Amino acid sequence: MRSLNDREPIQPGDDAPDFAFAYGGATHRLFDFRGSPVVLAFHGAEWDPARAEHIETYNKLIASLGGVAGARLLQIGGAGPWRDLSFTDAALSLPVLAADSAVARQYGVGSEPAVFVIDAGGVVRWSQVGPMSLVSPTDVARAISVVAAPFVHEPTASTGEPNEAPSAGWTRRDFVATALAAAFALALRPVEAHAERAARLAAPASTVRPVTLTVNGRQLSLSLEPRVTLLDALREYAGLTGSKKGCDHGQCGACTVHIDGRRELSCLTFAVMQEGRRITTIEGLASGEQLHPMQQAFITNDGFQCGYCTSGQVMSAVAVLDEPWGPTDDDVREAMSGNICRCGAYPGIVAAVQEVRRAQATNGGGNRQ
Amino acid sequence: MIDFEYIRATDLASAVGAGAAASTRFVAGGTNLIDLMKLDVERPSHVIDINDLARRDPSLAAISELPDGGIRVGGLARMRDVAWDARVRERYPVVSQSLLLAASGQLRNMATIGGNVLQRTRCPYFRDTAMPCNKREPGSGCSAIHGINRTEAVLGTSERCIATYPGDLAVALVALGATVHVHSPNGQERALPIANLHVVPGAHPEVETVLRPGELITAIDLPALAAARRSLYLKVRDRASYAFALASAAVAVELDGRNIRDARVGLGGIATKPWRSREAERLLVGKQATEQTFRAAADAALAAARPQRDNAFKVTLAKRTLIRALTEVTA
Repeated sequence: MRSLNDREPIQPGDDAPDFAFAYGGATHRLFDFRGSPVVLAFHGAEWDPARAEHIETYNKLIASLGGVAGARLLQIGGAGPWRDLSFTDAALSLPVLAADSAVARQYGVGSEPAVFVIDAGGVVRWSQVGPMSLVSPTDVARAISVVAAPFVHEPTASTGEPNEAPSAGWTRRDFVATALAAAFALALRPVEAHAERAARLAAPASTVRPVTLTVNGRQLSLSLEPRVTLLDALREYAGLTGSKKGCDHGQCGACTVHIDGRRELSCLTFAVMQEGRRITTIEGLASGEQLHPMQQAFITNDGFQCGYCTSGQVMSAVAVLDEPWGPTDDDVREAMSGNICRCGAYPGIVAAVQEVRRAQATNGGGNRQ
Repeated sequence: MIDFEYIRATDLASAVGAGAAASTRFVAGGTNLIDLMKLDVERPSHVIDINDLARRDPSLAAISELPDGGIRVGGLARMRDVAWDARVRERYPVVSQSLLLAASGQLRNMATIGGNVLQRTRCPYFRDTAMPCNKREPGSGCSAIHGINRTEAVLGTSERCIATYPGDLAVALVALGATVHVHSPNGQERALPIANLHVVPGAHPEVETVLRPGELITAIDLPALAAARRSLYLKVRDRASYAFALASAAVAVELDGRNIRDARVGLGGIATKPWRSREAERLLVGKQATEQTFRAAADAALAAARPQRDNAFKVTLAKRTLIRALTEVTA
């Protein structure tokens, strides 16, 4: 929702924002280059990477990778008639990605040149925003060694010393990087010393944290990244596979569980958000061998065929009877419309819900276990 | 989905302060944000969970009476609670109906009012990171204008974006003239008419609202409005339930016999923002409630429509939707 104007420069550790660009008659995206490191350079219109002083920057970068025989930037990747980018070849051409500053704004780059080294996973691992001549080859080398590490070996614990970085992992690999030149409409400032612009290097951070969930009356202690949905936590970490993953986008209802007594979609909430709330899954509905009346009604009324959507249907149906819907079949259909059944067992599902509703009305009690 | 830092906010001031940082998103219901994060359309580095704010300040999730007869709905109130609230159903049927005709029972239990009005477009190209989209990646181009554009907008479009605003509630709210209360990172509160909350895409489809980084919707006020009691939300879609609108109409009418004393018209499913048609309202007020009147209003409401290759049907559909809504609400 937010404007992309005026954002801070993308930092090491940030995901490189994706963008589309046209080149060689085709449209490409930065994401297309996942799997290879990418060097993304923002520069002024007059900046020509073929010019000696710019080549020098990159040659220093290459040279600092000790023992890399023949290492060079092999290509400006992707499809299309892009040329190999060799730093001994002065006649290279780089694609111009955008004639306006949209991409630069995405990266938080204003009026200064900038270089971002992006790893194969799309994470910025090194950046320099400011005069190009201040790019320290050892800093770049350090960054690139980290970038390459996932393909070669786990880096040893870093002492932060730049000299340790050009690791043995490079010696048997060509240095393949994809260089893209972007957004030329930047006004370059005079070169000045900016010691404080020392390159920053982000280590991959682990966000795994302990998460305690209350599921079917039991406390489950899990170690989860925040991005783990409640559905995945239940299925993949807690072994509760009764809740199903259908679409994983909140469109099918197969993952329906009860949270504090209400039906919700476990695929569209993060497990970490559900600490302290009471979660009930299909596994928690029956009392021992005694099925919940809704489970029994689905069997009695032939409310399923393949069964994949059924746990979500049952969880939804149980909760529907606690919502202020009307009593007709159409009311049930509307109330249950968030649960899709590919087998088309809807008549049986409606019948099951109505049977339990009528039984409740007769007994005057709730349907909860 | 990329990983992110999860922060559980405990008070409003720290939430909006943290929320002002780049690449940060608030999460409450999560039904829109998490969906988009799975698609890589949203890639926040920090996600701030604001659900606990309502524990500290229950008014953030409450539905309460205003002195002038209006109703205040907390930003963290769930769609379900507002939809079934007896006062809302009696005094603002269009609001209750717009909520109950939206999403599914599960989603309505999760999604908040503040998040609902900010939901992002369902334009298939916006949701597909393999395709250019000016809204998602400014300057990359619009895939919809020359693509499959059956569901796209016919009102409020630009040459950069024709993505439809997908929501229902906000269409009812613009018709009623609701007020949005916003808490800003500088600690200030501000209030704005909901008609001013969303902006048309113009040259900057990536900007969808006037909210600034970190700003949070804390409440929405339904105004005291005589016409609201005779109001209705009519939604036309590809299936009978659980689908986004192809066209919808939020109408509120105050009648004096068969004479229309006041009329409000909102249109959904056809515009780039929740659309209030003052042109239609002008042609209704002071007129007799007849089909001829409604037809003239509908023609005026869609006069500025700019259909694309696949969505010209929406012009006719929207007119008929509005005529039928007006017919039913004045019956």
